[in-house]
Amino acid sequence: MTLPRGFGTGGASGEGSADVERMIGRRVEHMGGLITLSYIAAWLATFGGTAAGYFYYPWAYPTNSGHFAFIVLTIIESIGYLFCMKVTQEGSRVSTNGLIAGTMGIIAILTVLISTFVGF
Amino acid sequence: MAQMPALVPKEVEIQRLKKIWLIIIAMGSVAASVEVDNFVDGSLHQTSIRDSAFTPAHWWLYSHFVALPLGWGMVAIYDRRVPILRGPNNSMNTGLKMTILGYLATMFTIGINEMWHFWFVEEIFAVPNHWMFNMGVVVAFIGALAYVVRVYARLIELGAETPGENPYIAEMYKMALEGKLYSRSIP
Repeated sequence: MTLPRGFGTGGASGEGSADVERMIGRRVEHMGGLITLSYIAAWLATFGGTAAGYFYYPWAYPTNSGHFAFIVLTIIESIGYLFCMKVTQEGSRVSTNGLIAGTMGIIAILTVLISTFVGF
Repeated sequence: MAQMPALVPKEVEIQRLKKIWLIIIAMGSVAASVEVDNFVDGSLHQTSIRDSAFTPAHWWLYSHFVALPLGWGMVAIYDRRVPILRGPNNSMNTGLKMTILGYLATMFTIGINEMWHFWFVEEIFAVPNHWMFNMGVVVAFIGALAYVVRVYARLIELGAETPGENPYIAEMYKMALEGKLYSRSIP
């Protein structure tokens, strides 16, 4: 197999496992923390965006409809988060089901609390 | 199932395809979000007609037209590391081309749309300046679907994903791998 320039031993014996690891870089199964932080950041941004609607434009964006959009978007983001985590970990020994369940559970609870008490 | 030549080690290719897949999932979530905003913005215009370019519903809508082309642009840059995803004559993948062209049309229409509303004011869903918004998004979604099927079919071929149990779906993946899903000449 031909490897890109800078990899392998010049074509004599093909690639070694160190070369393969170097070509891969950071493995997807080790990106769980980054994906979790991105998910939380996206959820906070969603709250900020909908809150901007009902705090600054209450004549156009009633709090209830802002919360409706917030809940729907939280569900969309949660599905995306779950897909990302499962795609990265399938076929590997890494498993962070506790992290996934904990993060999604806390965000679900906070979403319900925010939708119940904020902005009214 | 046709076996494609391996130009990079299998493990490397799987990891790269999965990194592309992660961006695709993020783009899918963003696209789902813009569908929600279609209703939010639509309901606002039902009551206030044309308000301003700077309302939360418009920030939400227009930020997608920035985020989606940037995201697919990132895919196009990273895509070069996976030889199997190249398009005709080693060009960009055809699905990606369609996606980026669709979103470029959409971004261009933002300017056209602002000019229209400056001169003609009314905010009606079926006005011509909105046509290109919608057609651009449809072209982009069609291209994205072709690309997604291609990436997923390759993950199946590499053994990283399980093929669909539905025989019709399995046949679709097989045809995609053989470059025959849309045309014999467009991989």
